[in-house]
Amino acid sequence: MTITPELRSEIADLANAYALAIDDGELDRWPRFFASDCLYKIIAKENFDSGLPLGLLMCDSQGMLQDRMEAFSKLNVFGPRSWRHMLGAVYTTGSEKEISARTNFVIFETLAGKDTHILCAGEYRDIIIREHGALKFRERLCVYDTTMIPNSIVRPI
Amino acid sequence: MGEAPLSWPDGNDRVPYWIYTDQGNYERELEKIFYGPVWNYVGLECEILNPGDFKRTQIGDQSIIVVRDAEGGVNALVNRCAHRGVKICEQDKGSFSEIMCPYHQWTYDLKGNLQGVPFHRGVKGNGGMPADFSMADNGLDVLKVHVRNGGIFATMSDKTPPFETYMGNRILGYYDRELDGRSLSLLGHSRQRIGANWKLMLENIKDTHHASLLHVFFVTFGLFRVDNDSRVEMDDTGLHTALSSIRGKQELNDGTAQMRSFDSNLALNDPSLLDVVREFDGDQTVVMQTLWPNVILQQQSNTLATRQIVPKGPNSFELHWTFFGYEDDDEEMTARRLRQANLMGPAGLVSMDDGQILERTQEGILAHPNEQGVVELGGRGTDDTDHMVTEVALRAFYKGYRNVMGL
Repeated sequence: MTITPELRSEIADLANAYALAIDDGELDRWPRFFASDCLYKIIAKENFDSGLPLGLLMCDSQGMLQDRMEAFSKLNVFGPRSWRHMLGAVYTTGSEKEISARTNFVIFETLAGKDTHILCAGEYRDIIIREHGALKFRERLCVYDTTMIPNSIVRPI
Repeated sequence: MGEAPLSWPDGNDRVPYWIYTDQGNYERELEKIFYGPVWNYVGLECEILNPGDFKRTQIGDQSIIVVRDAEGGVNALVNRCAHRGVKICEQDKGSFSEIMCPYHQWTYDLKGNLQGVPFHRGVKGNGGMPADFSMADNGLDVLKVHVRNGGIFATMSDKTPPFETYMGNRILGYYDRELDGRSLSLLGHSRQRIGANWKLMLENIKDTHHASLLHVFFVTFGLFRVDNDSRVEMDDTGLHTALSSIRGKQELNDGTAQMRSFDSNLALNDPSLLDVVREFDGDQTVVMQTLWPNVILQQQSNTLATRQIVPKGPNSFELHWTFFGYEDDDEEMTARRLRQANLMGPAGLVSMDDGQILERTQEGILAHPNEQGVVELGGRGTDDTDHMVTEVALRAFYKGYRNVMGL
């Protein structure tokens, strides 16, 4: 029931593939990284540390992930930009049945015609399970340190 | 670029762009508005529940500590040691039993009174403070505080009218509708920096018709739209506004037909986001209040929040969101509020658009201080209306602003 090197590498692939899908703008793939029963939440460290539940963004079903994805893709109004997720190494604990993972991230954002800035820095706190043969996020908390979000977060992180 | 004329065109239906970009005007705003005879919002009581609990906030450029004292009272203190000017408190929130400056350890009680000065009486007969040094005269600067139903306001001026007079009965009625005296429960904060003038944020809420055009999400699901039954109401100064509206249907009519962003076929995969329950008297599903000068108190469906506006020079402001519910909410209601919070904040399905568009407004006007904006929708008057196809609240706002600023 321990986490083998093969499994560890499969988990790292999941984390990297997730970040690349977003950076590549392939948001329609985003919900598929999650289990059928899932929670995705972007939460400020100040809320997380104080036990306050408010998320900057929260989806607790596949349907909500779909709706968010469509809003980001079609409904919201924002200018063109590039994103780059920089991920730290994935630290895993738990068992093969239910894997806990923590990964640091920094997201660089470049708006058309402007300097690259740091959008936010923080860590993913994940619970990963295997569903229909593939690893999926049952829970993905994005705990961000950044005190002031530079304007808005216009994609999932 | 020529020097801005710093004068106002005739009437309130034109707004000169230098008021959003001029550094001198910004500095006059700090003195005449934020440090002047106004009630600045500084927080909610549920953020500082117990004696010693504090939060740090800002009024204009000044750092302020809001703290609950041993007797349960709420104090607002300027975060600057009376000795050498050190910013005493760096934490955003926490709890302390006394306030001590780390530099020379001057200590203050939770009301800001100076309690201790090291080496006050000297050491081995050497040094010490002069015999006539007054502890009473060297406390922290204390602001006058008013608490109403859980909302905390502070003022730096002796000339500020009583809170109730300042708000006026009509606005107070809306205020008390949301902050009705029940204990509030804190759900959390989110914070963003927007590269635009602080007044544009107030305008954004007072500008009732943009929501029907910019916000596809609002439009499509009828959460807030020009064809909804609505009212725009101001106080006598024109500076406070309450905008209320009743949710409409997802239907094609002569209003929605003019909105390019309306999509009658859009459906949510998970409709729980729009599982709205009625919780207040009356049919209004949205009440957005702009309380002069620095807060938006809002109900959108079942999501309740304050947005505190902290100006950062003429070209930038911070928006500090505080989401809350009531202590007597059941689990289902809390879950509903948290789900609907997706509409708001820096990644809000709706408010994300505002952060983006305000910055583009600032970029658009930055190089054109001598040009002016057009505010003529709904005529040129400043009276309350029973619809929102109007920019009346902007005209009323600038009537009030000109009075305050002497323009």
